[in-house]
Amino acid sequence: MIAHIKQKVKEGKLVKVDLEYDEVITGVKITGDFFMHPEETLEEIEKGLLGLKRDATDQTIAYRIREIMEVHDAQMVGLGPESLAKIIKEGLG
Amino acid sequence: MKWRVVELEVHDASMNMALDEAATESVRKGISLPTIRFYTWKPAAVSIGYFQAIRDEVNLEICRQLGVDCVRRWTGGGAVYHDLEREITYSVIAPLTLFPKNIVESYRLICGWIISGLGKLGIEAEFRPINDILVGSKKISGSAQTRRGGILLQHGTLLYDLDLKTMFNVLNVSKQKISDKMIKNAEERVTCILRHSTAGKNEVYEALVEAFTDGKDCEFGSWSEGEISRASELAENKYRTDDWMYLR
Repeated sequence: MIAHIKQKVKEGKLVKVDLEYDEVITGVKITGDFFMHPEETLEEIEKGLLGLKRDATDQTIAYRIREIMEVHDAQMVGLGPESLAKIIKEGLG
Repeated sequence: MKWRVVELEVHDASMNMALDEAATESVRKGISLPTIRFYTWKPAAVSIGYFQAIRDEVNLEICRQLGVDCVRRWTGGGAVYHDLEREITYSVIAPLTLFPKNIVESYRLICGWIISGLGKLGIEAEFRPINDILVGSKKISGSAQTRRGGILLQHGTLLYDLDLKTMFNVLNVSKQKISDKMIKNAEERVTCILRHSTAGKNEVYEALVEAFTDGKDCEFGSWSEGEISRASELAENKYRTDDWMYLR
């Protein structure tokens, strides 16, 4: 299945998530006008979400995102792990 | 702390972004002084944020027809139309230790220099977090920042004049035909210096230089040969490549 979700998040920026999934997430692309330092962490987040179960809760998804951000000492601006997780959860239906 | 100021230059989009990156490397290595630069874009160009999908943001066909260049920035944020005559772009490249650790506060500090420059022209402006400057309730300037290896790079644009029709044509604001209503809506959200002052572009530039350098020990200088050569390499092998342009 494929899903495209576009939302202006509460932190202020516009985020678009393209998802591919069956029982688990098989593809993720996150785009938008937010900031993240260091920028390359987003690719690690996209990779780190692969294999996550379709019925994962938004808390589980947010936890995974935060874990990856901690490893890379990354900061998001205009977007937060919980808001990103909510969009992904919405895409998973 | 001594600063270098590189006065207003004109480059193409790739070289403008490459110079920022080359200077970041050179400031990090301690070869160059912390740097403030001002520049414009020839040909006119659209710069998109690091995380944006170019096909979502830019009407590439219209850009080709109008001769408008496109480049992906090293920084996040939104798509910006850089018109040669109608805006001034700046970059600040300096050690992170010179700025607040909090990202929004560091935007506030540097945007404060632009606000001060606008004040010299009699224009009252305010910072709106995260990265905008407003006059009245309308946006006149936007900035974007990255932090790498202990160096902060912030660049941003200040609108001198507005050509909303071209702006909307090159940016994928909507697939629909650019309507009068859309222009009117944007008129309510965006402004430019000429709506608030009769100052010439050079006068605006001088006010910015004065505001950015106020209280700093500055040396008006240029790029080193090493920076020019590194920037040319980055322009060619990174910023002009399809791999970079279509990264997302």
